[in-house]
Parts: sequence; C-alpha cells; structure tokens
Amino acid sequence: MSFFRVMKAEVVRSFIIMRRYWFRTLTGMVIGYGMLMVLIAGFIYSKGGAGDKISQFDNPAAATNFVLGFIIGMFAFGVVGMFTQGLQSMATTGVLEQLCMSPHGLAVNFMAQTMVGAVSTIISSGILVYAVTWSVGGMLHWDMFPILILLTLTFFNLVGFGFMVGGLVLVFKQVGQIAIIVRMALFALAVFAREEILNQPWPLRFFLHMLPITDATISIKYVLSGGQMVDKITESGETIQVFSSVFTHPSFYWLIVSCIVWTVVGLTVFRILEDYSRSKGTLGSY
Amino acid sequence: MSEEVLVELRHVHKKFTTRHVLPVDEETRKRRLFKKRDVHAANDISFTIRRGEIFGLLGPNGAGKTTAVKMISGLVRPDSGTVFVNGLDVEKKRRQILRLVGVVLEGTRTSLWPLTPLENLIYYGTLKDVPGALLRPRAHDLLDFIGLKDKKNIQVRRLSRGQKQKLAICIALIADPQVLLLDEPTTGLDVLSGRAIKDKVMEMTREQGRSVLVTTHDMHVAQELCDRIAIINNGEMITCRRTDELLDLFSEQVFVFKLNQSVDPTEFSLIPGIISAQMEESSEGPSLVVQVVREPETLRSEALYAVPSRLWQSGCLLHAVSQRQQNLESVFLHLTDSAVKR
Repeated sequence: MSFFRVMKAEVVRSFIIMRRYWFRTLTGMVIGYGMLMVLIAGFIYSKGGAGDKISQFDNPAAATNFVLGFIIGMFAFGVVGMFTQGLQSMATTGVLEQLCMSPHGLAVNFMAQTMVGAVSTIISSGILVYAVTWSVGGMLHWDMFPILILLTLTFFNLVGFGFMVGGLVLVFKQVGQIAIIVRMALFALAVFAREEILNQPWPLRFFLHMLPITDATISIKYVLSGGQMVDKITESGETIQVFSSVFTHPSFYWLIVSCIVWTVVGLTVFRILEDYSRSKGTLGSY
Repeated sequence: MSEEVLVELRHVHKKFTTRHVLPVDEETRKRRLFKKRDVHAANDISFTIRRGEIFGLLGPNGAGKTTAVKMISGLVRPDSGTVFVNGLDVEKKRRQILRLVGVVLEGTRTSLWPLTPLENLIYYGTLKDVPGALLRPRAHDLLDFIGLKDKKNIQVRRLSRGQKQKLAICIALIADPQVLLLDEPTTGLDVLSGRAIKDKVMEMTREQGRSVLVTTHDMHVAQELCDRIAIINNGEMITCRRTDELLDLFSEQVFVFKLNQSVDPTEFSLIPGIISAQMEESSEGPSLVVQVVREPETLRSEALYAVPSRLWQSGCLLHAVSQRQQNLESVFLHLTDSAVKR
C-alpha cells in the first residue's frame, strides 16, 4: 500500500515535468535518434576492418542487434544512474533529506522513483529502437509477453545493482564519480553482448553471467532480433530454423538467478549502508 | 505553553571523524601522508522542548546545532545517549517519529523547482503519508497561512529566496507535525521576509500549539522569538535558560564609567567583587567597563563604591555612570568566549 502511494506521487511528478518540459522530451528523442544513426554510420565507415563491418551491415539483423545493444546499454546506464548521479543531485539540492524523512523509507522512495523513470525510458527507448531499426532496414519481432517478462527481470536486476552502488554513494559520496565508469562498462557490455562472449573459462564465464546486463541483453536480442529462432540440422543434413522459446534458453535462467541475487544483495547492502551513513552523518547530505 | 515535554535529548554524544589524505600540517607546514581528526558535535548534550515552546539553539559555526537537529529528526544516529520525541525513542521508533517531526534544514532547496508550490506540497504530502482527502485542503490552507496563496501555481524556480524558504516551511508542516525543527530559518533573507517568517513561527506555536526548535546565528531572531535558549559550543552545552533569565544574568552586573582619560584596568580588576575590568574607546571618549559579582550584595555594593573612589584617587574625572543593557549577542559572546578560555 505504502509503495503504491509513493509510486502514485512519483507518476504525478514525472507526468507534470514531462508535460511542462515536453519540448525537452521531444528533442531528447530526436537527438537520441540522430546520435544512433551517426554511431551506426561511424561504425560502418571506421578505419579498421571497414570491409568486414560493411558486410556485417549488409545484414540488417546485425544492425538491429547493434541498435538493440545500444538501447539496452542506455537503459542500464540510466537505471543505475538514477541511484548514483540522481542520488548525488538530490543530496546537493536537499531533496534527499526530505525523502530520508519520509515514513515510507528511502528504499521504497527510490524503488518507486526508479520504476517510474524506467517506464518512461522504456517507452522512449521503444520508439527509438523502432525508428532506428526501420531506418537501417531491420526487423524486430515484438513478442510482447516474453519482452515484458525480460524487461521486468532486467529492470530488477539493474535496480538491485543500483541499490548496491546507491548505498555506497550514501556513505562515500565520491563513489558517484567512479560509478560513471561502472555505468559505461555496463553500457559497453550491453552493446557487444552476444552468446559467443560466454565462451570463456568458467570463472570468467560465471562472472559474466553474474553481471546484471549480460544475460538480459542476450535474451532480449534473442527475442527482438532473432525472433526466438535457432538453427537446427535435419536428418538430411539441411539447416533449418525452428522456434525455441526464450523461456527455455539458458540465458533466461541465468537472468532469473542474477535478478534474485542482485535484488537481495542490493537491498541488503543498501539498508546496511543507509544505517551506517546515519551513524557517519552523511545521510541526505553531500 | 504547557509543561508537557515533546522533545528530550538525554546525555547525547556524537563524534565525527574526518580523514584527510596528504594534508598540510598547520604547525610544521609540511605535508603529511594521512591525518585523522575527531570532531565532537555533541558532548553530553541534554535539553527538553515543551509543547507550544520556541526553543533556540545558539552557537558559533561548527558548534553542533545542525547535528542536534538531525539527531532529533533521525538523520544522524547519536553514539550514545537517547533522543525522545513525544516519549518515543528516535532510534527504536524512527518511522513513527518521522510523522511527528517537520524539518527545514539550512542551505538546502528542499522543494522541487520544476513544480509549483501546490504541486510540491501534494508530492511531499503523499510521500509523508497524508491521507488523500486531507492533503489538498491542507496544502491550500498552508499556502494561505504562509502567504503564498497567489504564488501557488507558479513554478518554484520563479519564486524569490524568501518565498522558497516559506515553501520549505510549508513542506515541513504538510504532515501536520507537532514538532518543527528550523535550522537557520532566516539566513540570507531580507528584513521583510525574515520578519514574515518570524511572525509565522510565533503564530504556529502560540496559536497552533506546536513546538519549534530554532537554530540561528541571528541573536535578534533568538531574542525576539525564543522562550528558552541553549548555547552550545564545540558540542558542549554552555547554558540552557529562559531567554529573560539569560539576559538578566548579566544585565545588572556591567557598569560603564565614562572618564576624561584612560586608566589601567588591571588595578580595578583586583578589587574584591569585580569580575573583570577593561577600557573601551568610543567617540565620546574612554570608558571603564566593569563587571561585578551579582551576589553577595554587600560585596557587590562595596565593589561599586570602590571604583569611583579609586578613580578619584588617580585624579580621573568621572563624567557619567551607567548600567549596560545586555542583549543576547553580548551574552552569547561572553559565554562562548568564557567556554573557549576554559
């Protein structure tokens, strides 16, 4: 009940700001579209191995894959950023102190803020993905049910991770700057994540699975770009594509595991560090 | 004002540790690798705030005033000692206490600038769990009360500093708290805005029965507003008395002797019953300022007789004698100065 009241307040606040600054929202999307197109062009015409890259983009599915990675990366960048830079800016303005004094608790307030922020990011990212994919001649397989499940799991995965980093920011405010590097790393991982990167020795493979974005990106790309189709060799030796649900894909199970791990770890670390920051006197201040 | 205690700090201690990497040593002027320093923000602080009372917390920068406010509001945890609000231990019942306390902290924006004052109040009211049916009328009432009725639909970023401060007070009041903590509420405001805020604080306590804790550097604000005042310095409580008592404590003891020439004050400070003696120069000429003991009365009287007699002996002309009227500023300076010397 308490969470939904906070959520309602956040929805109203976001809606007012979005409506009041509609021009900024709109130009943000146009700039995002332009940046993506420039990035794709840059990727194609970059010096090293340009021929290979151009041939890669002869296949629109590869471009779609790249765009998807980019958007998921942006999503990860944004969600974790709400816990780091968002927290820092709230601390600077004094809004954080008011949130700390809300009887609902800081964790509930943050969760609601992030959820509302994520919904608007998903909507604008969805429009961007569609526009860019259409521009590069690719095709997306909008299978709503698995996509919603995957996005929800990805979101909680990132929120858990964000809570952990956010907890650190509450105590050590300068962590926010280091967190930018972490966010960039997540972004890069999302752009280049595909199943092949998991072909590593087990400790590294396990580490990649535990990162909050690897399996999420692989699963989302598998649905949106690959259309949940896998190659299968028939008895006659012919390769055909057959449907294989994402829910049977190993990355989906790893996504569930990392989601549970990060949510539990993130919330626990956040509560411990929130308590510790009260002792240190850094809660709510910058 | 009732005798019912709403806030109580009982033997509260709080120490902050600051760590500096590669600091310059103040004595040797050489760079050290690492320096750790303990700052006592509260050292056995105890006081109470009664219902309907305006309680002032005074002290120089870094004295521990804001830490005290943050400990009452649960933003900072004391190392030892207990803070009670309405009989509830802040550490054990923090969530419940947050419904009883409203806070305006110094130097913060508090409000969301892209929203209007009304939208801000509704947003914070929801976060503070104010029931939906009460929220909107209360927000309107508060804006009306504080004098922002005609600004309720203007974005906060367009408001003046004083208006933003008024809004911050409204935000602190939106959950109808019994205790309001105001950290430097008039700092940086012009005379009119400061006056308006002081009037509203008066009204909140006298008419609405809230308890208000005000921390301030402005002695006029404290003298004008507060029923009782505590002075803290370096985390230690120097005094905690009724404002009139505090002023009275020194007012009868300081006497000014206007002279035609300067004299050596040290020979006067040796007179029994005289606490201190010093020369002051003004456009009207030199004055000997003498502080005498309050009690015993005979000793005080003898000391006061002795001063003109000693002046006469030294061939000094006495133009006038007056009793210095103390204001809170001089009391504050006297007390904090004595504490530093101790």
